[in-house]
Amino acid sequence: MASSAALPNTQVAPTSNAFGFFRLIPGVLLLAAVGYAGKFIEQFIAHYGKAHHLVLPNIEYVLWAIVIGLVIANTVGVPQIFRAGVATYEFWLKAGIVLLGARFILGDILRLGGISLILVFIELALALTFMTYLGRGFKLPPKLITLLAVGSSVCGVSAIIATQGAIEADEEDSSYAIAAILALGALSLFLFPIVGHALHLSDHAYGLWTGLAVDNTAEATAAGAIYSDAAGKFAVLAKTCRNALIGFVVLGYAIYWASKGQAAEVKNKGVFLWKKFPKFVLGFLLISLLATIGFFSKPQLTALGNLSRWAFLLTFAGVGLRTNLRELGKQGVRPFIVGAVGEIAIAVITLALVVGADRIFHL
Amino acid sequence: MATLTKRRLLSLDSWAVVLSLAVALLVRAGILKTIPW
Repeated sequence: MASSAALPNTQVAPTSNAFGFFRLIPGVLLLAAVGYAGKFIEQFIAHYGKAHHLVLPNIEYVLWAIVIGLVIANTVGVPQIFRAGVATYEFWLKAGIVLLGARFILGDILRLGGISLILVFIELALALTFMTYLGRGFKLPPKLITLLAVGSSVCGVSAIIATQGAIEADEEDSSYAIAAILALGALSLFLFPIVGHALHLSDHAYGLWTGLAVDNTAEATAAGAIYSDAAGKFAVLAKTCRNALIGFVVLGYAIYWASKGQAAEVKNKGVFLWKKFPKFVLGFLLISLLATIGFFSKPQLTALGNLSRWAFLLTFAGVGLRTNLRELGKQGVRPFIVGAVGEIAIAVITLALVVGADRIFHL
Repeated sequence: MATLTKRRLLSLDSWAVVLSLAVALLVRAGILKTIPW
């Protein structure tokens, strides 16, 4: 789902006590400063071009925020005092998605979500099969193959972490899989918009493609928003459909490994599914339902949409600040190659699916 | 979240939902009026 952390065990969630809350403030302020700097640079370039009658490239604040974060994280580094607050970017991502529901009419969600779900099922089947055979071809350990397959087909780091616990995989395997997925997620931020523009994809088609092909929710949202605001919206919708299926995939693998006697049996499948289900999907649908039945006025919907944008602004800053390229480079080469080949194949397959769906459903 | 050993009242997802809904209600009640972008 989310996370651009270099290593999973460095993540810190917001804590409930007062000390924990105050500990978050410096990092959250850093997220806001980096995100706002990105917004400022975008606006500055636009104003400068207009004032001097120059045609300058319109680079979205999203990319600036990520690049500034990347530069800080990989040069001076993020000091300890900021780290707990920076780690809250995953919280802002989920809050942003819930509030984004205000910008969708439920009918659109059902229509586009339905199309997305069909494509997600096809993508899941193809990606899981492809990654499994690819991993076997490279003679990777079986549980590492499972982690890579889940990470690249469902939702990145969260799926890997959820699966690691369910199939009792080694920490080392999970760390390899996460590093591969994160490194490829970082690359996708720069490559997807280039391909999208080269192929003249519409906002809807591009957003759907990003939501289907980019693994982490934060990177999928960012890769969509770099293209356009509307593409960002549709990337989130498609990615949310993928996220909603995490429980079923993890349950499938848990049962498979338990049948081989290499993981504990799942006693209550309903409880297991509920625990793995991403709850922010329900919040997103609820806000969209409220927006659809007229619970909010038009100015209130605009305010909620803007709040969602601010939450995403903090997320995008966090994506850059939490990506440590040196740490990622220290992981194994073979899992990275398997991940890279798999991701390229998944990107090509999902692009073909989206182009096909665009012709049939006129997205 | 990866390794959060301390047991929390709600998951990160649930906190995001609860706080977002609370903010949405503040907007609905007119307490938060204009949010510029």
